[in-house]
Amino acid sequence: MPDVTALLSGRGIARSFGRHAALEPTDLDVRGGEVLGLVGPNGAGKSTLVSILAGALSPDSGTVVHADPAPRVGWVPQRPAQYGRLTPRENLELFARLEGVSEPEAVAGRLVELVELPDDGRLTAELSLGNQQRLNLAVALLADPDVLLLDEPTSSLDPRQRRRFWELARAVRERGGAVVFVTQNLEELERFADRVVVLLDGRLVFDGSAEEYARSPEADVFA
Amino acid sequence: MTAVRLLLAKDLRVLRRSPALLAALVLYPLLVALLVGLVVRFASDQPRVALVDLDGLPQALTIAGERFDVENVIEQVNDKAELVPMSEEEAERQLETGEVTAAIVIPRGFAAKLRGMVESPELVLRLGRGGLASRFELQTEALVFRLNRLLQEAYIAANLEYVTLLVEGGEADFLGEEFDVVGLDEAGRLLDELRDRTDDPEALDQIDELDNFVGEARLALEQTDETLRATANPIQLRTDREAGRTWLLGAQLQAIALALTLSFVCVLLTAGAIAAERDENVVGRLVRGLVGLRELVTAKVLLGAVIALALGLVLALVFGVATEVGGVDGGQPWSRLPLLALGLLLAGAAFGAFGVLLGVLARESRAAVLVAFLVTLPLVLIGVIPSASVPVAGWISAVFPFAHAVDFFESALFALDPWREVGIATLWLLGLTVAFATAARMGVRRFLA
Repeated sequence: MPDVTALLSGRGIARSFGRHAALEPTDLDVRGGEVLGLVGPNGAGKSTLVSILAGALSPDSGTVVHADPAPRVGWVPQRPAQYGRLTPRENLELFARLEGVSEPEAVAGRLVELVELPDDGRLTAELSLGNQQRLNLAVALLADPDVLLLDEPTSSLDPRQRRRFWELARAVRERGGAVVFVTQNLEELERFADRVVVLLDGRLVFDGSAEEYARSPEADVFA
Repeated sequence: MTAVRLLLAKDLRVLRRSPALLAALVLYPLLVALLVGLVVRFASDQPRVALVDLDGLPQALTIAGERFDVENVIEQVNDKAELVPMSEEEAERQLETGEVTAAIVIPRGFAAKLRGMVESPELVLRLGRGGLASRFELQTEALVFRLNRLLQEAYIAANLEYVTLLVEGGEADFLGEEFDVVGLDEAGRLLDELRDRTDDPEALDQIDELDNFVGEARLALEQTDETLRATANPIQLRTDREAGRTWLLGAQLQAIALALTLSFVCVLLTAGAIAAERDENVVGRLVRGLVGLRELVTAKVLLGAVIALALGLVLALVFGVATEVGGVDGGQPWSRLPLLALGLLLAGAAFGAFGVLLGVLARESRAAVLVAFLVTLPLVLIGVIPSASVPVAGWISAVFPFAHAVDFFESALFALDPWREVGIATLWLLGLTVAFATAARMGVRRFLA
């Protein structure tokens, strides 16, 4: 049964690439007001699960159910997804228009300031990886999302940028939204996650609170 | 359509930021078009041809009193081919190995038969299997035609000398025998003398009869000159060399240059553009309800059409200015530009759809551009081969937009009544666009894997 408080639910979602089953049939509810940490070794199916929840990848089977009214979903893929030959501001304006955001120029300008992006006419491809990752986050924030799906979002950020990033993520949770983040960073997991989901070889092997996770054998395996 | 328009605007903005790439994409195919034009124009101009002289022709031949300089005749051929004297065996070998395109064999007794004026001597032309052989056959036929004309003139002049001899009388020789001919003029005078010397009515009647015959014969023979020339050349060809269009500004070359440039630019650009969407990792972001895969493909197809329209009109303008400045006959058909613009859009869309399909198959932008180049080059070259000569080339060209684009441009710009050709080319281009775009739409899902 779907959780009625869930903003986003995956029901039996599975995906294979060729003969390799990246994600076995999996159920997952993403509830408002929580930060969900998604952990597991490389190739466990974390990015596949997040991409399917984001709608960027179609599942081979199963469905993704949205609450009513449908939440706005922001997605930060592991590798920055933006146009290298446009400036950060142009990228934001383009995606804002595609999202149907009203006043795209104003919103883009606000986000450039919010995530402290360079606005000197340099093309995105000329920016550091950290700045590209911040633009990646800014694009996800364009539609003022209720659910933020983050795939290893802080891997290229310096400590100050990480702090800034988590401030933004917490703001989503504080206004009743949900944050799902994939991480390999245990410190971030312990510090920010309310709930932890562990994937292993494409299967969900643990789903519980951060405290439960800390006491579970899966925590040892992952550690 | 908003998403398509936004993506199209993004691509054009990105393109504007790469002027060097754009210039290379435009100049390279133009250079190729020029080279293709040069090859088509001059490649078959001077095939290597063996000359086998079994008769040992002298430097000069006198036929019917006319002197023919053999070297001069060979020089005339050398304008069209490189004549290489060699033995019969060597010519046979080189013909087999393709070192010569053809061999002209002058058989033994050729000169004697020519001089004798009784039997036509044969000139033997042996052709290889190369593509230039048939062209050289035409050139040789033209040469033999010209030689026959010269000989004909000599023969007619010789025949007319005999006619003049019959009319005026005198000494003559035929096949080595000398003899006196009285001639019709002298015959008439002799008949007048006979008439004065006799009163015999029967003899006078016979003299009158002979005199009438002489008069009629003279009248008839006086017409021989024109009649002989007319029967020898029932149809005469008069060649007027006008200023005309140079081959560089000719209709076909303009159409080929346009189509060739657009095929390279549009196929390479759209192949690179669709693959770049995957390289930039944005396809996943776009398909999250922002842009459908169909819209993504449509945007790239339209990119091809827009680039083709802009670039094609600029090229047409350049051709037009060159035509006007050069004072070329006929000028540039400016009134046909709207029809050309339609063709540019259709061709650009078809090339664009083909490029998108290649980009989808190649997946990565550098590979896509390389694949697009490797596929486009042979396809446009095949498109230049006349399908009447090589039917397979026609079949291959039919499923690629290049040949249809050439047909459209040529008809749109220069045909007196272009509508039928334009209609057929339009249907082909639309059909190919839909086919390639549909295949690309099916393949672009691979980007999400």
